[in-house]
Amino acid sequence: MQRSNRRGLFHHADASTLTLRLWEFTGTALLNLLIWLSVVVFLSPLSFMVITSLKSADQLRDGNAPTYPAKLQTLTYKGQTLLVYNVPTSSGVKNWAMLDRFRTYSDFIDPANLQAGPIRWNGFWGSLTLHYNPGITFENFTNLWKTVPYPRLLRNTFIVIGLGELGILLSSIMVAYGFARFPVPGGKTLFLLLIATIMIPDSITLVPTFVLFGRVFNWDGTFYPLIVPQFFGSAIYIFLLRQNFKSIPRDLDEAAMLDGAGPLRTLFSIIVPQSIPTIVTVALLFFFNGWNEMKMASLYLGVRPDLQTIAFSAQASPSYGFTPQTLQASALVLMIVPVVVIFLAQRYFMQNMIIAGVEK
Amino acid sequence: MNTTAALPDAPNKKKSLSLRRYSARVGFLLVLPWILGFLLLKAFPILAALWYSFTDFHMLQPDQIHFIGLQNYLTFLKDPAAGSSLFRSVSYFITTVPIEMIAALLLAAIFASERLRGKRILRTLFFMPSIIPAVAISIVISGLANPTTGWLSLYILNPLHLPPISGRGTLYPIILALWTVGPGFLIMLGAMLNVPREIYEAARVDGAGPIAAFIYITFPMISPAVFFSLVINMISSFGGVALLDRGLPYSQSLSPMESYISRVMFGSDLNLGYASALAWVMFIVIMAITLALFASTRYWVHFAEEQGDAEI
Repeated sequence: MQRSNRRGLFHHADASTLTLRLWEFTGTALLNLLIWLSVVVFLSPLSFMVITSLKSADQLRDGNAPTYPAKLQTLTYKGQTLLVYNVPTSSGVKNWAMLDRFRTYSDFIDPANLQAGPIRWNGFWGSLTLHYNPGITFENFTNLWKTVPYPRLLRNTFIVIGLGELGILLSSIMVAYGFARFPVPGGKTLFLLLIATIMIPDSITLVPTFVLFGRVFNWDGTFYPLIVPQFFGSAIYIFLLRQNFKSIPRDLDEAAMLDGAGPLRTLFSIIVPQSIPTIVTVALLFFFNGWNEMKMASLYLGVRPDLQTIAFSAQASPSYGFTPQTLQASALVLMIVPVVVIFLAQRYFMQNMIIAGVEK
Repeated sequence: MNTTAALPDAPNKKKSLSLRRYSARVGFLLVLPWILGFLLLKAFPILAALWYSFTDFHMLQPDQIHFIGLQNYLTFLKDPAAGSSLFRSVSYFITTVPIEMIAALLLAAIFASERLRGKRILRTLFFMPSIIPAVAISIVISGLANPTTGWLSLYILNPLHLPPISGRGTLYPIILALWTVGPGFLIMLGAMLNVPREIYEAARVDGAGPIAAFIYITFPMISPAVFFSLVINMISSFGGVALLDRGLPYSQSLSPMESYISRVMFGSDLNLGYASALAWVMFIVIMAITLALFASTRYWVHFAEEQGDAEI
């Protein structure tokens, strides 16, 4: 508002107004510059990962290699593969292929002028650096694909996430609907209890649930401990959904009820269609959690390598003897799915995470 | 308040009473899955853990359980490894949660500014690391700190002649704390965008600068959101899952106490009784911190007056 006032005064060419506008502009520019710089620093470990995973083994071994992914330039000369060096000469630095090297001189071939034959260069070859051309390699990913059984890991992960998603959505939606719309006996106390369970650390229930699932139900080495608990709902999702259901006007579902729709029909024809954004947000939260899940997997799937999920299997990758760049490629493969999902769903997800916070 | 309100007539009283009973029954049935889950997966295990903690329950001899009184708790008092794990858990909470909270608050304050461009993509970029699996972060951080090929050594430590940093020990917890800023940031941003503009206009007229406006208007107005994200961060700093799971196995839990418990449980000891006692000690410490946080809300959190049946 103030700015539009100033714009109105602007034709007076008032010097102080001009200074103020300049200050405002500089401030805005600095703020934007600062935040973009900080996002670059904030995500720099990820840039390191991506760039390293696209580098070849030779490049990583060479301390003088460029930072960006690059390939060594080579020259095939009379059946031999020669490496190209940066050679300083009286007429500037030349990219010559090394044919022979000695203590005080070396012989080079100029790739641009093969007919000229070997050129003698005086100096110690150890002081020269190799010549690289920008270029990426996918060899780390192909190595990874050969070692890690990704199709099986993905299948297991999607079984666990898919069935878990079904369970968590059905149960959490029903429970949230019950808390939001019905006079549940002792409802207030139960809801407070529900909130309190969010704060119970997992380690307290660790031993007895391990005995229950592993010894009583004999579920060791199956997907059941990862899937069945989801059918009982999750406190934080119930909380988020219930807050959303409460914000829907009651008139609509009361009208449906008076028209003879039962509670479940009302839920699925009135409440659920109006809560799609929140339900999608809950589904995405569960997806991310399911993708990363490690506690249950490490407790119950350790004995069955064929049932392992992708995150759990990745835990062993530092011990596979991978090269550093293949290791970075494995990290990239592991995180790419959730990252792509969050970028595809950002419009929905981000907005609803914000709303979920406001409603607290 | 509920469906009975639609049928207020006296002749319908009997009918409405049965309707009320009917809807209470439906409500109970809808909530039943959670009640069963609560009993089976929370209440029973908590009580069972309490019972185990007074026994010599051993994974290899599940049939020979003896009541041994407070012996496990006395062992804890004499176990320096357990004591230091608990201490490190609490200090992890004390050091990382403020970093996360301040970073989230600062970021939210910048995003609330109208001058920032490209908010939508920036928001996703700052949130994105919060969903990256812990294994991947651990690999990336070890690579980054690698003395010969890592960027940290090549571009920061070596030029400044600083000694190499251990990726897992030092850098990992810091990156993990900063990369968990996402949920707290979004929650606080949502709250900031909800503060009515007029209040700021009024404050500006009264001569309040941006810092005063933040201290006297923004912070009190968003204090419930700050508290909510404080609770979420607290839970995850002790190894629990509030909103987003990074997938840390028990053995690598952020909370050293939790990984110590899993070592007692699955390591050479396989001592479930002692592990349960340790879990109860941790439970009591966490509950004490939670209660202290809730008690502190009186002094700094301004919960809005809520009307009608809206509770919590």
